[in-house]
Amino acid sequence: MAVAGDKDLDVPRAELVPAPRAAAPSRRARPRLRRRTELVVLLAPALALFVGFVLLPIVLAAWDGMHKWTGFGSLGPFAGLYNYRLVLSDPVFRESFVHNVIIVIASIVIQLPLGLGMALLLNRRIRGRAFLRTLAFAPFVLPYATTAVMWLLLLQPGGFLDQVMKAAGLGGLIQLWLANLHLVLYTMIVVLTWQFFGFAMILMLAGLQGIPAELREAAALDGASGWQATWRITLPLLGPTIRIWLFLSVVGSLQVFDQVWIMTGGGPANASSTMVTYLVQHGFQSYEFGYGSAVAVIIFLICFIFALLYQRFVLRRDTRGALTRAVG
Amino acid sequence: MRSLRKPAVVAVAATAALALAACGSSGGGSTNSATGKVTLTWWTNATAGQLKTVWQQAATAFHATHPNVTIQVEPLQNEAFTTKVPPALASSNPPDIYQQWGGGQEATQIPSGKVADLSKLSSGWIAEVGSAAQAWQVNGKQYGVPYDLHTVGFWYRKDLFARAGITTPPATLAQLMTDDTKLKAAHIVPIAVGSKDKWPDAFWWEYFALRECPTATLKAAMKGVNLSASCFVQAGKQLTAFMATKPFQPGFLGTPSQVGAGSSAGMVANGKAAMELQGDWDPGVMAPLTSDKNLNSELGWFPFPAIAGGAGSPTTTLGGGDGFSCTTPAAEPACAQFLQYIDSTPVQKKVVAANVGLPANPAAAPALSLPALKQVLTYNHAAPYVQTYFDIAFPTSVGQALDAAIATYFAGQGTPQSIITTVSQAKNQ
Amino acid sequence: MSDVSTILAAGPGTQSRRRRRRVSPLTPVTYLTALVLVGVTVVPLLFVFVDGFKSNAQINSSATALPHPWVTGNYAQILTSAAFWQPLENSAVIAAIATVLVVVLGAMAAFALSRYAFRGREGLFLLFAVGLLFPINAAALPLYLMLDKIGLLDSPLGVALPEAAFGLPITIVILRPFMREIPGELEDAAVVDGATRIGFFLRILLPLSRPALVTVAVLAFVQSWNQYLIPLLVFTSQGRFTLPLAVANFQTQYAQNTASILAFTALSMLPALGCFIFAQRHLVGGFTGAVKG
Repeated sequence: MAVAGDKDLDVPRAELVPAPRAAAPSRRARPRLRRRTELVVLLAPALALFVGFVLLPIVLAAWDGMHKWTGFGSLGPFAGLYNYRLVLSDPVFRESFVHNVIIVIASIVIQLPLGLGMALLLNRRIRGRAFLRTLAFAPFVLPYATTAVMWLLLLQPGGFLDQVMKAAGLGGLIQLWLANLHLVLYTMIVVLTWQFFGFAMILMLAGLQGIPAELREAAALDGASGWQATWRITLPLLGPTIRIWLFLSVVGSLQVFDQVWIMTGGGPANASSTMVTYLVQHGFQSYEFGYGSAVAVIIFLICFIFALLYQRFVLRRDTRGALTRAVG
Repeated sequence: MRSLRKPAVVAVAATAALALAACGSSGGGSTNSATGKVTLTWWTNATAGQLKTVWQQAATAFHATHPNVTIQVEPLQNEAFTTKVPPALASSNPPDIYQQWGGGQEATQIPSGKVADLSKLSSGWIAEVGSAAQAWQVNGKQYGVPYDLHTVGFWYRKDLFARAGITTPPATLAQLMTDDTKLKAAHIVPIAVGSKDKWPDAFWWEYFALRECPTATLKAAMKGVNLSASCFVQAGKQLTAFMATKPFQPGFLGTPSQVGAGSSAGMVANGKAAMELQGDWDPGVMAPLTSDKNLNSELGWFPFPAIAGGAGSPTTTLGGGDGFSCTTPAAEPACAQFLQYIDSTPVQKKVVAANVGLPANPAAAPALSLPALKQVLTYNHAAPYVQTYFDIAFPTSVGQALDAAIATYFAGQGTPQSIITTVSQAKNQ
Repeated sequence: MSDVSTILAAGPGTQSRRRRRRVSPLTPVTYLTALVLVGVTVVPLLFVFVDGFKSNAQINSSATALPHPWVTGNYAQILTSAAFWQPLENSAVIAAIATVLVVVLGAMAAFALSRYAFRGREGLFLLFAVGLLFPINAAALPLYLMLDKIGLLDSPLGVALPEAAFGLPITIVILRPFMREIPGELEDAAVVDGATRIGFFLRILLPLSRPALVTVAVLAFVQSWNQYLIPLLVFTSQGRFTLPLAVANFQTQYAQNTASILAFTALSMLPALGCFIFAQRHLVGGFTGAVKG
């Protein structure tokens, strides 16, 4: 089985001769120039688009964040890290960060076992397997705004959910799902789980399919039970998959916006605010573009620090070579 | 200005320019200088109801008399204005005509350089509007024009009051609390509030402040942008005591004010709540939210009650208005002429007929059909002082902070003092 | 596809052996789980679709009962209204532009990053990967100002270009390992046959990478279709709104007409679901390759 990392630096044999640095035989000059041209042609468009629309805004935001700027006219007085300090000391931002962390933890605790369990179960040969996979993935492809509107209607007081609960005899448990300060964040987590657990399941399924069945066969021949085979063989081999999913899930959870914005606007009283809803509220609505830019940069830095730590401590095992060689 | 950015932006522009060929951009007023034809984009908050029709008719009628000018009506949900207007004013292509509420909010927008100074273009006709136009002046210059005026008071269901055995609306806070008890005994939600949108909460706190603070204190607070006078804390305490009687609907923290039958307006419209403290646009907002044809005959109005021991005047009124501004890219004099048309008596009469408030142009006042609105007009004229909603009177960032602090307090998480502190923090930022 | 390969890999006799194995106790659990999965996923969707066939009065009285009678007016009204088709078309155009851009540019870049050796290659890859960390919504503010400066506000390109740019990281991260897996011998053979590297890229590598390409195309399309904040800021004329904007707008504009909103929401889900079903066969294969890398 291909172990991740084996082929990291495998290059096509034709390239094994490294590009010479000293004066080279002129025979090589034209292919090298051609190769360089090819590289430029292949990389330049993507790089230009990326630098222009992704990196440049980050840099500009960092710069804007260092000024007291309403958004109109000139940038205003240079303020160094004033805005950044202000953001980090705002209790509402801290609360939003905590909410994001809660969402991260919830998504790991709920979606990982759920996605893994479903993937293990649905990897078996049962009828309608393909249909079930499609179904599980369906919520993921729905636009977040549409999901938000749908759940907004479902969760209205006396709406669909409340009626179903009453019919099921659970009427006593009905709450104000979106108006209750203590519940609203968890209501949002339920909505987010609904939208994203299919992604976890599909990713795990893909990982499972990379594990040859012979391994389980061999284990069964050796007398291992189904559980033992799963625990000792399948799960460890799913390690890389799980770690990739974890990374994507955490980064995604730190960036939650659309569903929360449409369903609660971050409220009531900031009980469901996330870092990005905070950004929109304070960046756009208050004529404080300098401050808003600082928020954007801080969100980026938080994700970046997480990614660095994750890469160094978790992913290092999986990707010998590629990333670590560049970073380490 | 931002010279550090220029090289980078040029590089990006070069990349994008290649692809730009096919798609052009529209947006702000485009003037075809050859033919002199002009299109003005117009952002209003009338997304539903009669006013939406009135504006559409106004645009069409204006085009009929000014064939070179086409007005493109773009209704935008009220709550979306706070997100879309600031970046629009920072861009190079803001809407030509947009709705704004005057006062400190307008003043915050002036530094964008995009709000047109209409002093000269309106000098011939602005006197029609009377003293109300002052709220749209900054430093004596006319930056916007009102199209209606508002007063905040209680809208109530006469039928529900009757059912609960209430014969006359309350004149004091104590009577209001008694009435709430009667309504609850009749299994009627006494008061609906659209707390999700935050500004309805502010109406409550601000009215308590108006009853606790003398007029001079209020004026000084607006001018100095600070709420340090002790009467503001007192107002908060009174409000705390009032809210302890649980007068609002269950789940009020998540109820929007105007959107949908489940909003606070919708609740009163459908008889699910007995009253709401709102502006005089409420009848117009309620109408599309219910199929009850008799709504207007069921609606009554009474002013915010007096509070015993309050140092403020019992007849000071909280109010404001809606208006429009032209932005500098807009074609002149077309834009100013359109605003003049909006304030002309015929259009004002139609605005009034949509039950959205009091007309900016007093000449249209006789057209008020809803008896309750006539009552509001009389009260407004008799009021010794009309205080503009605080979040409009203050600069926008301070106003937003105030609304947020009051909303937090409504959710049980702030104190009367924290509201004051938030304002001073926002001001100093 | 994978079933066959697994069976083949297991050897000749195993097939019959597997068939004779008794039903595992996990099977009823599996079916139960499947049932719950179907329930949780489908029921909210069903609610939206079915209740679109009710009148508002019916919905207010009971959201769970079947419509009685079935009211087709809501769906009919929306299907014949430009307020639905225009945003649908806008969304489709923008998503198409963004997807094509991302797949083409991403494939080119991934090819360069996977099969050429040059100084700074890993650093460049890392640069792209870092883009995963910056949410497009956090960049909304500076993006807005930049788009204004280059005149792309209220233009479909003003949305498609940033979407493509933000879609490049995940595209390259998925495509690069996939392209690396393709054996070097194929490339050598192509060179021997006189093809250029670019020719190899176009004629051999790309077709072989189809599962991954479809995966990234679907991801890019979904991401673009999803966008709410950027289009909200960029578009001022209602005629240019995308579908998520239109849904949210519709919800506030016709808020009292719950049935209509449900119908609108239901219809707006169909394109996404349709495209997904169309492409899903390739999806799992694409992820497999990415996961291995």
